[in-house]
Amino acid sequence: MTIRECYIAADGDFEDVLRRFMSEERVAKFAVKFLKDNSFSNLTEALAAGDLQEAFRAAHTLKGLCFNLGFNKLGELASALTEILRPLEPVDTSDLMNSITEAYCKIVDALNRFQC
Amino acid sequence: MDQKLKILIVDDSELNREILTDILESQYDIIEAENGKMAVEILEKRLSEIVIVMLDLVMPEMDGIQVLTMMNEKGWINDVPVVMISSEASPSAMDKAYDLGITDYITRPFDTKTVQRRVMNTIALYSKQKKLIKIVAQQIYEREKINSMMINILSHIVEFRNGESGLHVIHIKTATSLLLSALSEKCPELKLDRDKINLISMASALHDIGKIVIPEHILNKPGRFTPEEFEIMKKHSAAGADILKEFNSNGNPLIEVAYEICRWHHERFDGRGYPDGLKGSEIPISAQVVAIADVYDALTSERCYKAAIPHEEALQMIADGKCGAFDPLLIDCLMSVADRLKEALSQNTISDTNWSSVQDMTEHILKNNDITISIPITR
Repeated sequence: MTIRECYIAADGDFEDVLRRFMSEERVAKFAVKFLKDNSFSNLTEALAAGDLQEAFRAAHTLKGLCFNLGFNKLGELASALTEILRPLEPVDTSDLMNSITEAYCKIVDALNRFQC
Repeated sequence: MDQKLKILIVDDSELNREILTDILESQYDIIEAENGKMAVEILEKRLSEIVIVMLDLVMPEMDGIQVLTMMNEKGWINDVPVVMISSEASPSAMDKAYDLGITDYITRPFDTKTVQRRVMNTIALYSKQKKLIKIVAQQIYEREKINSMMINILSHIVEFRNGESGLHVIHIKTATSLLLSALSEKCPELKLDRDKINLISMASALHDIGKIVIPEHILNKPGRFTPEEFEIMKKHSAAGADILKEFNSNGNPLIEVAYEICRWHHERFDGRGYPDGLKGSEIPISAQVVAIADVYDALTSERCYKAAIPHEEALQMIADGKCGAFDPLLIDCLMSVADRLKEALSQNTISDTNWSSVQDMTEHILKNNDITISIPITR
């Protein structure tokens, strides 16, 4: 699997990230590091613990990272979550979190296959 | 290049820091901070080494806005440029960051070239500005040096004719400056800033230039004046002011202050001085301060007609009104700087134009001319 195919499988925008990062090697180098990033797990843990401040921060970080790495679909979802968490008031995030988890798993799966 | 310039990257996400580091590390040394608190700690110790701060907005411990607020409080924002990097694109967040002095705002997703260029440009602009400020300061320093040298030459001519060593002028300047510093602390409403104090102190050297019109045999008479001689002697204050009046065609502040000092440094708070018999606050503060400095130095110095009086005794005489009335507030000021005054005058020298006061002046000039903010922002 090439990095380009990996991005297609992950619903990412490869052309955009390639333009910004300027080489396939650099895109690949940082894309796989996404596997070790803990914003997503921070987010799920903070939501489970009811820590809205931390959840907002994690969602915000996830959003920034995804856009930077060209994982635009997850980026959009994280962005939507950021906005509903911003007032720091209890809110039902379950539907959005299901979509986020699904998009996240798709990226992780694609990156794992790319690494093999 | 012998050593790479240092960049401080502040971001709570390790991956974000890695991406930025990757983009910038070929040209710069990278220092990383994983939250605002850490960034402040690093700035506290290494501010002078860091040429630019790349700052994330949303972070734990201390967020980007709190870091900027701190940088404003500590004045660091004037020494190092900050570029904010965030996926936060809301106008209110950007506004706030710009209001707090950031130079640039890069939104995620960013591209490699943009980050490199903006970092390079920001650093270049800042170093250019710093260089210019240094040049301006150097010029001001030279100008001040020449100014104070000319004034010193002029006032020394008067002193030497008076058979004195020229120390009197230096003493008056030192005493005036100390008294004014004390006065500005006691009365902030007088708005005696560093510039004003420097100006009055410099002008104080001219207080006796009118003595140039007094015949030498009276000026240097050992022993008491006859009433007629005293009347002639008293003419020196108005005469000095008249000389300066000739120059005051364009409202030069130094000449204006020197005029006040020359004319009214023998006025007294109760109206019993000369030449105009002004009373209380009718006498400009510059002249009042020089008057008390003049009296103190005359008392504590040896003259052809008298021996030097010890410091403590001189203070007591002034406080008791033996040398005419002064504003009690100024007597307080004199007492509060008495120890420092004695110490300073015993050294017999004065650092005429010190570098830190030049830097203050430069900052002031740059601020007043709006050079530091070259792009007018209208909302």
